[in-house]
Amino acid sequence: MVATKPLNNTPLVRESTTLQALTAAALLLPGLAAQQPVYAADGDEFSFQYGRYEEGKRDLGGIKSTLQPIEVDSLQSSGRVSLADRVKFAFNFIQDTWSGATPITTAPSSRGGNRPYTQFNTVAGASPLLKDIDGGAIYFDQNRRPLNSFLDGDLGERVSLGVDDRVVHTMSVASPETRKEGNFKLSHEWDEMAIDVGGGISVESDYESRFGNLGARFDFNQKLTTLAIGGSYANSENFSRLSPHFTKSYINSSAFANQIRTLNDGTGDSVILGDREDWSGNINLTQVVNKSALFKLGTGFTHSTGYLENPYKAVTAFFIADVNAIAEGSVTDPDSGFPVTIGDFSSTIPYVGVARAFLEQRPNNRNQFNLTTGWVQHIAPLDAALHFDYRFNHDDWGINAHTFEGDWVQPVGSGWTITPRVRYYSQSQADFYYQYLIADMGSTVSTGAIDPGDNAKLPTQTFSSDHRLSGFGALSGGVMIGKQFARGLRFDAGFEYYTHRGSLRMDGVGEGDYADFDYWVANGSMTVNLSTLGRTLAESGHAHHALHHGAPLPAGIFCNGHMLEKADDFMMGYIYMYGRQDGAILQGSRPVNDATIIANGCEGGSCRTVPTFMNMYMHMLDIMYAPTDWFNLMLMPQFMDMDMNLRQLSGVVPDTKTYDHLHGGHTTGGIGDTLMYGMFKLFDDGQHHVNVGMGFSAPTADVDIKLNRMHGVDGGFIHYGMQLGSGTWDFKPTLTYSGRYDDWSWGAQINGTTRMQNHNQSGFAFGDMVQSSAWGGYNLLKWLSGSVRGVYTTQGAIRGRFNPIPGDCIAADQQTKLSCADTNPQGGTMDHPQNYGGRFWDVGLGLNAMIPDGAFVGHHMSVEWLQPVMDDVNGYQLERSGSLTATWSYMF
Amino acid sequence: MINRNLLFLPWLLSAAAIGGCAEVQPWERGILAKPQMALELYPLQTELRSHIYGSREAASGGGASGGGGCGCY
Repeated sequence: MVATKPLNNTPLVRESTTLQALTAAALLLPGLAAQQPVYAADGDEFSFQYGRYEEGKRDLGGIKSTLQPIEVDSLQSSGRVSLADRVKFAFNFIQDTWSGATPITTAPSSRGGNRPYTQFNTVAGASPLLKDIDGGAIYFDQNRRPLNSFLDGDLGERVSLGVDDRVVHTMSVASPETRKEGNFKLSHEWDEMAIDVGGGISVESDYESRFGNLGARFDFNQKLTTLAIGGSYANSENFSRLSPHFTKSYINSSAFANQIRTLNDGTGDSVILGDREDWSGNINLTQVVNKSALFKLGTGFTHSTGYLENPYKAVTAFFIADVNAIAEGSVTDPDSGFPVTIGDFSSTIPYVGVARAFLEQRPNNRNQFNLTTGWVQHIAPLDAALHFDYRFNHDDWGINAHTFEGDWVQPVGSGWTITPRVRYYSQSQADFYYQYLIADMGSTVSTGAIDPGDNAKLPTQTFSSDHRLSGFGALSGGVMIGKQFARGLRFDAGFEYYTHRGSLRMDGVGEGDYADFDYWVANGSMTVNLSTLGRTLAESGHAHHALHHGAPLPAGIFCNGHMLEKADDFMMGYIYMYGRQDGAILQGSRPVNDATIIANGCEGGSCRTVPTFMNMYMHMLDIMYAPTDWFNLMLMPQFMDMDMNLRQLSGVVPDTKTYDHLHGGHTTGGIGDTLMYGMFKLFDDGQHHVNVGMGFSAPTADVDIKLNRMHGVDGGFIHYGMQLGSGTWDFKPTLTYSGRYDDWSWGAQINGTTRMQNHNQSGFAFGDMVQSSAWGGYNLLKWLSGSVRGVYTTQGAIRGRFNPIPGDCIAADQQTKLSCADTNPQGGTMDHPQNYGGRFWDVGLGLNAMIPDGAFVGHHMSVEWLQPVMDDVNGYQLERSGSLTATWSYMF
Repeated sequence: MINRNLLFLPWLLSAAAIGGCAEVQPWERGILAKPQMALELYPLQTELRSHIYGSREAASGGGASGGGGCGCY
C-alpha cells in the first residue's frame, strides 16, 4: 500500500489563488497590466505529471541481498474548469505503482535475519528469515544483550565470543501493486470569501480510503489578510492478505485473531480487516507584510482512530531462559542441529533464546498537532523570491518533529525559472518503538508452530520496529526547473535527493546506522492553461475553424487519425484505454475444457494454471504540433498498468507443501513504450481527407519484470502479456481516409506494427500486427455525433522466448528443490509464446463531442466501446470482454 | 511533553504583527503578483513530494483534506 498523505497540499485550487486573485485586481489597473505578465494561476488548466522514486540499497550488515529496493512510478492528471462565473470544479487522478524490498522486521545481526543462499556455488542473495528453523537458538549475556558464540568441539560446550550489539533489518519484497485515486473539489468565490467542498476515493488491492473535506476562505483588511479554515474526514478499510507463502506461516497475528478472516477463494489466504477514521481541522492565515513580503501561519489537528498499524511490519521477540533451566529438547543448537541440554554451555553464556515474529501492535488512537509558519520575501536585485517554511509536529505517540525548508525561486529570463531547495527534517521516536523485544520463555517454548499463548508473554502490548517511528533526521536537496511558453503552456522538471540518517536527528542521538537509507525522486510535468488559450481561440475565430476541422473520428482510431490544419497549431490530448479479458479459455474460436488445456496448452509439458481475468489500463499523452499545414509531429508517451489472476486447472493436484504456485494475482505498472509520429496530408478538399502516418515506437517500457522469489524458489519472468511494452523498436505506419457530407461522416483506416528487431533484451518479440477498420457517423446534435465502426485485427504469435534465468526451482514432483538452468514459469498457458496473437473481429460504438462555444470552447472529447464479435486465437487464450477508449484533446 | 499553550503563542504574536504591517495599496501589489511570489509555485511536485514524505516520516497530515492510501511499503 502506498502512502498518501492527506491532501492538505493538494493544489486543486492553488494556495496562491487568493493572493493571485487579489493582486489580479491590481493588474487590471491601467499601467500595470502592460508591465506584468498575466500569469493565469486562477485560470482553467489541465496538467499531467510523471514521477519516479527509487530507493538506494540498504546495509544488511555485509549480507548481499539481490532484492531490488523500493521503486515507485507515479502519474497524475489534473484539471480545473470554470462551471460558471464564480464556480470552479477541479479534479485529480493519481496512480502509483510500486514494487521492491522493504524492511519487515529488525533483529540482532547474530540472528541472521537475511539468510544468504547459494546458487551454482556462489552466494546469490539473501532470503528473509522470520522464525527459527526448527527452534534454533540465540544466546544472551547477563544484561540480555545478544552474544556471538561458537560451539567448542574440544570442550563440548558453547562459548561466548562477546556481545554483538549490531542490528539489521530483515528485508522482504513486495510484488508490484497499484494505487488509484480520484478526487474533486468544487468551489464558489465571492468578492471577499470562498467556500469549497471536496472528496475522493483511493483504491488499492488491500486498502481503500474515502474522504471528504470542507473549506472556507475569508479576505480582510483590503485583502491584505486571508484566513482559511478547513476540515476533513477520511474512512479507510484495510484488508491485507496474510499469505501462507509468507506472513501467515511465520508471523504471530493472534492479537488480531478476531479481525482475521479466511478467504473462500481456494488460496488458503486470510485477510486482516481493520478500519480507521481520521478527522482533521486546520486554520491558516496569510498576511501581506509589505510590498515585497508575505507571512503565513497555520495550525492543524488530526485525530485518528482504529487500525493504525502497518500490516506488513513485524517485531521480532526473543523468548529467553536461563541455560540451566530450559526444558530438555525445546531448543535446538543452530550449528549441531541437536537439541541443547543443560550443561552444554560455558559460564560465559547465561541465557538462551528463540526468536518469534509478531505483527506490530500500535495504539488505536493518535492525536497530532502541527504548527506551520512561513515567509516569502522578494529579493529585488535578483528579482528572485526566497521561501522559508518551518513546521512543528507533536503527537501523543511521543513523536515531536521539526521541518525546515528553504526555496530560492530565480527567474532567469525567457520564461525560465530555476528553484534550488533544501529541506531538513528531524523526529523523536515513538514511545512504543523497539528494535526488538525480549520476553521470558516461561516453562516451555513452542517450536516451529505459532503459539497464540506467546503474545501474552510479551513485555508490552504496543510495539513497532517500523523505522518511520524511530528517531532520525533527514536532509534533502534538489532543484526544480520550469519553462513558461507562450499560449499558456508550461513545463516543469525536478530532482531531489533525500538521505535518512539516525545521526542527523537534531540532538545527534538517533537510531543506529543500520536503518539509514536514501532515495531520489524525479518528476516532469506539463500544464496547459486553458483559459488563456480559450480566449486566444475566441479572439482569433479559431474556434469556429476547430469545430469544422475534419470529420469526427471514433475515439479508438489509432492516433486520432486527424491532423492539424494550420502551420504552428498545437494540440494537447489525453487518451485513456481500458481493456479486459475474462471468460472461457479458447482454442481457436472454441471454448475448451481443462483436461484439453492440461494436455495441450503448454508446449513441452502439462499446464497447471490458466488466467481467470486480465485488465489493462493505459494513460497516454498526445502532444501534436504542425510545423507546416501538410506535416504534423506527434509525441505520445504511454503509462501502463495491468492486473490479472490465475486459477488452478481442475484435475491438477497441488502439492502439500506450500511451494506450489497455483493461484494468486499479479500487478505490474509503469512507463510504457513511447510513440513518435510524422503525419503527412496526402489529400484534402474539405470533404475528403487522406493522410498517412509514419510512426515509431521506442522501447521505453520494462520487459524484464520478474516474479518474487518465494520459499527459496526463484520466480522467473512474469508472463509476456504482463510486461509493460514490446521491448523492441517498432515501425507503425497508418493510412487514414475520412469524409463528411452534411450531418454524415465516414472513414477507414489501416495501421500496422512491425518489429524492427528479432528480439528484445529479454529474448522475445511480439508478433507483427495489422488492423483495419471502417466507420460511419451521424451528427446527433450540432456538437455531438455518434459512430459505428467495424474492426478486424490480425497479430502473429510471439517470436523467441524469455532468456533462461538460472536459479532455484522445484522438481516435477513439486516437492524437491533443484538448481535449474531456467526458472521461468512454464505452468500457465500465458507463459508460452505460441499462445499469443490471433485474428479478432470487433464492433465499436462511439460518441464524439466538439464544443463550439462557451466555457469549454475548443475542447474535443470522444469515447468508444469496442465489443468483441469473434476471436480466433493462436493456441490457447483467454477470451476478450471488450475495451473502452476515452479521449480529450484541445487545439490551440 | 511540550506545553500546548505554547502553540498559541505564535498566533498572539502574529495578531500583534498584523496590526503593525504596512498598508499596501492595490496598485502597490505588482511584486506580490509575480509568479515566484506564489505560495505554491509547483503544486504537482509538492503533492508528489508530500506523498513520499508521508510514507517515509511519522509527521505528516494535519491538513485540511484527508484521504489516500496506507503508506505501507
